[in-house]
Amino acid sequence: MSLRYMRAVAAIAVPVMLATTPVAAADKQELQKILGEIKGLKRAYENRIATLENKIKSLETKKASSAKTATPAGSSRSVKDNSFNPSIGLILNGRASSFSENSSEFAGFAVGEEGERGKEGLSIGESELNFSANVDDKFYGSATLAVVQEDGSDKIELEEVYIQTLPDAGLPDGLRLKAGRAFWTLGYLNEHHAHADDFADRPLPYRAFLNKSFNDDGVEVSYVVPSDMYIELGGGVFRGDDFPAGGSASGLGAFSAYARVGGDIGDNQSWRLGAYALHSDVNSRATGEGAVTFVGKSNIYAADIRYTWAPDGNAKNKELILQAEFFNRDEDGTYNDTGAGTGNVNFDDSSQGWYAQAVYKFAPSWRLGARYSQLLAADTPAGLVGSALDSAGHDPSAISVMGDWTNSEFGRIRLQYNREELSDGKKDNQFLVQYIMSIGAHGAHAF
Amino acid sequence: MFRNTFRKLTICSVVVLGWVLPTSASAELRIFACEPEWAALAREIGGDKISAYSATHDKQDPHHIRARPSLIAKIRRADMVFCSGAGLEIGWLPLLMQRGARSKVRAGKPGYFKAAQHVSVREKPVVVDRSLGDVHPEGNPHVHLDPENIILLARELAKRLIAIDPENASVFSANLRNFEKQWAENIKQWRKQSASLKNMPVIVHHKSWTYLIAWLGLKEIGTLEAKPGIPPTASHLQSLLRTTAATKPKAILRTPYDQAAPSNWFSQKASIPALVLPFTVPRGAKPGALKTLFDNILSQLIRANG
Repeated sequence: MSLRYMRAVAAIAVPVMLATTPVAAADKQELQKILGEIKGLKRAYENRIATLENKIKSLETKKASSAKTATPAGSSRSVKDNSFNPSIGLILNGRASSFSENSSEFAGFAVGEEGERGKEGLSIGESELNFSANVDDKFYGSATLAVVQEDGSDKIELEEVYIQTLPDAGLPDGLRLKAGRAFWTLGYLNEHHAHADDFADRPLPYRAFLNKSFNDDGVEVSYVVPSDMYIELGGGVFRGDDFPAGGSASGLGAFSAYARVGGDIGDNQSWRLGAYALHSDVNSRATGEGAVTFVGKSNIYAADIRYTWAPDGNAKNKELILQAEFFNRDEDGTYNDTGAGTGNVNFDDSSQGWYAQAVYKFAPSWRLGARYSQLLAADTPAGLVGSALDSAGHDPSAISVMGDWTNSEFGRIRLQYNREELSDGKKDNQFLVQYIMSIGAHGAHAF
Repeated sequence: MFRNTFRKLTICSVVVLGWVLPTSASAELRIFACEPEWAALAREIGGDKISAYSATHDKQDPHHIRARPSLIAKIRRADMVFCSGAGLEIGWLPLLMQRGARSKVRAGKPGYFKAAQHVSVREKPVVVDRSLGDVHPEGNPHVHLDPENIILLARELAKRLIAIDPENASVFSANLRNFEKQWAENIKQWRKQSASLKNMPVIVHHKSWTYLIAWLGLKEIGTLEAKPGIPPTASHLQSLLRTTAATKPKAILRTPYDQAAPSNWFSQKASIPALVLPFTVPRGAKPGALKTLFDNILSQLIRANG
C-alpha cells in the first residue's frame, strides 16, 4: 500500500506546505533556505520512493512467477465445467418421415414399442435434457431426461440417471463403478445416445433384441487392464425390468459380462473389438403391441467391431468409419400370442441379427453412409404358426443410405432413405429428414 | 449355458491378461503428453528417467481427437498427464481420464499438469457464445510458441518430476539447469535474428499463432476463418482480401493440419506467400527438437519478410 500512498501524500503535502508557509514575516533569504530544504526533502523522498517502487516491482514479478508455480495444479482456474452448478445440455431433435407401407411388422419377431417404426410425418424425435456434474471428489452424477410422445401425449422418460466413481474414489486404478439407470455396455450403439448415431434410426437387431436400447436399473463395474493394448473387462447386475427382460420378479433379473480390446494401426487407423453377454430372467415381457407375452430365459451374445481411418488422424477433415455388430439370442420359455389365440407354447430356439455400416466423411461438413441390417428368425414351432412369431420363411432386412451436413460440432441435418423388407412382399420405402442440435454443455463422445 | 459361457470368457481373459501384462515393471516415469511439444520438453528435463508418449503428432489438429482405445490404455498407465489445457483438449481428454481411471493423474495431483495454468493466457474472451465460433472461454491455449513460456513450464515440470520421483531429483535439477542455460542463449539468438520481423503484417488461418506473433511483435491483420473453428468461407476471404490490401500483408500463416485451399487462394490473389509453419515438433523427437522448431519458424518468416 504504502508506496502509492506516500507518493500521493508527498505530491499533496509539498505544495500545500509551500502554500501555507507564512511568507509575510519571513525574510527572503530564510524563505529561500526553507524552499531549498523542502526541495531537498522532496528529492530525498522521491529517491526513497523510487527505490521502494523498484523493490516492489521486482518482488511482484518474483511473486507472480512463484505464484504460478506454487499453486497446486487443478486448484486454480477451473473453467468450462462449472464446479458447483451442474452442466446443462439440451439436444434438440426433430424429423419428418414418409413411409410407403401402412404398417411395419417384423416377420418372426414381436418387437417392443420402442423398436417399432417411428411416426410418419412431422414430429420431434427424442429431445434430451442432460444435467451432469461431479458430486464431490469421488463421484460423478448425470441425468438425462427425454421427452417422448406416447399415445399422443408428451411424456418425460428417464433415459439415464446414474452415479459413477471418479479416479479419486479409492478404487484400484482402472476400476470404475456405475450405478443407477444407464445405457449399459452392450455392443457398440447401446451405450451411445441416439443423437450420436450415424443414422436416423437404430438397425434391426437393436429394434428387435433390445427394444432400441438396454437401459435397465442396475450396477456395472468395468476394469481397464494396465497393458500396452487397450483391454477392458466388465459386467453388471440389473433389475430385470427393461427389454429383453420384463416384469422383474425378484428385482435382480439380469446379468451381463463383456470384454473389449482395441488399438491403433499407425497414425491413421484405429480399431476396437468387443464381446458381450446379457442374461435375463423374463418374468413377463409384452411385445407386439401387448399381444405377445414371453416368459422364460433370454440370453443375448453379441460382438462388435469398429474401425476408423482418417488421413493423418484428422477425423475432423476426412474419415471413414466401418462398424458391424452381430447378435445371437437364445430364448427358452413360453410364448403366448393372444392376438392369434395360441395359448402358451413352449419355445427353445435362437435367432440372430446383424448389421454392417460404412460412413465416409469426404469434406469437413459432409458425410455419406450406407447400412445393411438383417434378422434371422427362429424356426416357427407348430403352436405358433400363423401368430406374430411366424416368420413364414422370411428374414427381415433393411438397406439404408444417408447423407448429413454438419455445420459445427453442435448442429447436424440428415437425409436418409430406408428400404425395409420386414415381412414377405412388403417393401417399405422410407424417407427421413432429421435435425440434431445441441446447446449448452455437451460431453465428448466415446470412440 | 450362460454360466458356461461366462466361465469360458473368464478363462479367455486370464489367458489374454497373462500374455499382455508387462513381465517386468520398468522404473521410468511414463508421461502422457497431449501434444508433441510437451513430450519433447519432458524429454529435455526428464532425460532417461522418463519415457514420454505424445497422444497427437505434428500433422494432427489437437482440438479434434477421437478418444481412441489406444489412448485409454496409455493414460491407464501414465504417471503424468502433460497437456496445454485452456480447453484445447476438452473434447477428448476428460473422457480418457474418466475411462483410464488413473488416480495418479487426476486433477490436483502433481501428475496432472496443464501448461495454461502456469503462464499468462492471451485472448480471454469477454463474451462467450457459440455463434462466435469455437471460442475457448479460457483464452488461447496455444501457449508453447512463446519461448519465454517454455522456460516457465520447464521449471514447473522439473518441480513436479521431483515431487513424483524424489530419488532422481538431482538428475532433474541438473537437466533443468542445462536447459535453462541453453534456452536463454537461444532466446538471445532468436531476438537478434528476428529484430527485422517487428511489425511484419501477417494473415493467419486460425488463431494458432497468437503467442508467436506477440513474442516476435508481428502484426496479425486478419484470420482466414471468419470465426474460430468454422471453415473459411468464400465471401469472408473476398472481403478480407479487400480490407487488407492497403496494409500489404507479407505472408499467410497456417499449420500443417489447416486446410490448404483457403490460404492458397489468398496467396494467389494477393501474391504473397502461403507459409505452412511447423506448429510443433515431430512425435518422438530427440532433445533439441524444440530449438529446431523455433529456428525453422523464424527462418521461414525472415525469408517471407524479404
